[in-house]
Amino acid sequence: MIVQESIIVEQLSKTYKVSEREGGFGAAVRGFFKRKYRDVKAVQPVSFKIAQGEIVGFLGPNGAGKTTTLKMLSGLLHPTGGKANVLGFTPWELKPEYLRSMTLVMGQRNRLSWDIPAADSFLLHQAIYRIPDDEYKNTFKELDELLELSPLMKKPVRNLSLGERMKCELAVGLLHRPKVLFLDEPTIGLDITAQARTREFLREYNRRTSATILLTSHYMADVTALCERIIIIHLGQLKYDGGIPELSRKIAPFKLIGVMLAGPNSHDLSKYGTPVENEEDQEKRYIQVRTEDVTVVTARMLADLPIHDITIADPPIEHVIAQAFEG
Amino acid sequence: MLRIYRRMWQVNWAEQWQYRANLVMYILYWIVQPIIYIAVWTSIASARGSVSGLTANDFITYYMTMLIVDQLTSEVVIYIFAYKIQDGTLSGELIRPVHPILTNTLMNNIAFKGLTTFVLLPVWTVLFVLFQPNFASVTTANILLTVPAVILGFTVNFMLSATIACIAFWTTRVWALYRLYGVPFALFSGQFVPLQLMPKIIEDIAIYLPFQLFKYFPTQLILGKLSNEEIWRGYTMDIFWLIIALILFRWAWRKGVKQYSAVGA
Repeated sequence: MIVQESIIVEQLSKTYKVSEREGGFGAAVRGFFKRKYRDVKAVQPVSFKIAQGEIVGFLGPNGAGKTTTLKMLSGLLHPTGGKANVLGFTPWELKPEYLRSMTLVMGQRNRLSWDIPAADSFLLHQAIYRIPDDEYKNTFKELDELLELSPLMKKPVRNLSLGERMKCELAVGLLHRPKVLFLDEPTIGLDITAQARTREFLREYNRRTSATILLTSHYMADVTALCERIIIIHLGQLKYDGGIPELSRKIAPFKLIGVMLAGPNSHDLSKYGTPVENEEDQEKRYIQVRTEDVTVVTARMLADLPIHDITIADPPIEHVIAQAFEG
Repeated sequence: MLRIYRRMWQVNWAEQWQYRANLVMYILYWIVQPIIYIAVWTSIASARGSVSGLTANDFITYYMTMLIVDQLTSEVVIYIFAYKIQDGTLSGELIRPVHPILTNTLMNNIAFKGLTTFVLLPVWTVLFVLFQPNFASVTTANILLTVPAVILGFTVNFMLSATIACIAFWTTRVWALYRLYGVPFALFSGQFVPLQLMPKIIEDIAIYLPFQLFKYFPTQLILGKLSNEEIWRGYTMDIFWLIIALILFRWAWRKGVKQYSAVGA
């Protein structure tokens, strides 16, 4: 089987020209006559390929260039340099055929009209994307089951809560069954149940339609649940592109050893490894050990200490990624 | 495509009703101005019998007809579109597979006309009762002849303003520029006084500018005040400016979208 690339990005970059001035009245007046411009390199040349049907997590700290990249790939922004090809189209040419086959969901106030009930925006969307009535009904039913949209449809969008609005934005963005999904924080503002459902829905959508999904999220649960591959970008540069387990190995070649000791808890564990906090498990005490030393250290601990229970695990993905951002 | 326009109409029409107070202020400003001109010129014309051959009735019918023509040819593109570039709300529309200005902005503008008609009608009726104008010069043939002029007038007006709105892609704000555009507009459109009362030089220039196509030309056409030669010239100018406006808009849009910085989330 030939793997088809949905998204091909070559040396894509974006530099913004930003006018800047200092605070204060004098500076404001000077700024009127003579603007100072500064180049902000939002995205430095990045390259990657994403195959059809892949779900890729696009990660990086605030201001890393994730959203800018998504905006370029969806066609909103013209890049300063480089090339991109999504489904055979150059996104920023804004060809209707392209726009009909992709979606960009970002934040709120995007596709929904603020002043009218969501239902009206949905119907408008149906017309714009030329979705036949029966297909529209089926898709809406599916979305409704997963996201419980019906109670929200009659209210003006301005009266919906952040989470409710996000659900509607996501749903309206998927009505035309896009082949490529760019999702910028798709679960932001959702409660735990809705988050889990959205993930479930995205996975199911991906399985059924083989759609390609590129998503950013600050919830690592989204990333670990959905993505087999992640791309990390920091200060506009590509830092990592690969699987999550490989990232752990590459960035953080550590394991966490957790022990529950019998008797008084006064033993000094620092001679075996670096003690670390683990908020999820307060009963055990944890130390961080280099992967290659795990066997030796475990053997020593078992010999030295009155061990009641011992576990060896990978460090949490949040820690790994945080380390990747720094590196 | 028809379905898209129908749904956009529904959405925009529903949206219009959300801002009633806004609308009332706006319409008062819009309608009060010609009413003042009527009052001023009719009193002058009545006192002196006529002004440069124009009687009180000529002024009343001119401004009252212009109220209707203006309702049909005026546009509010700057108000409904330019801010979307500024605050980034254009993003949602830009990635839809239809042209934002030629679909949504257009329907929004037409929905606004629909709404303001509700204000115009009673005002017009009151003026009619108050001034008792004589519209004897208006014939069915004139009305039919004016229909294309009104449609063309609106199209040219809309496209030129849309071009100015596109400048917001570069400058973020376009209000000052739009105000500046309003100066020749006011002078050459015939909005203050019928153009024949203007100095000869202004009248001569106005003929070749687009502004008279939005107000003066359709108004005089419907009132039967134009010679065949003037009608031909008017329509030629309509076509000429339509082409210019379309070229300018297409150019500004294409270049502008490249500049768009999609601010906000």
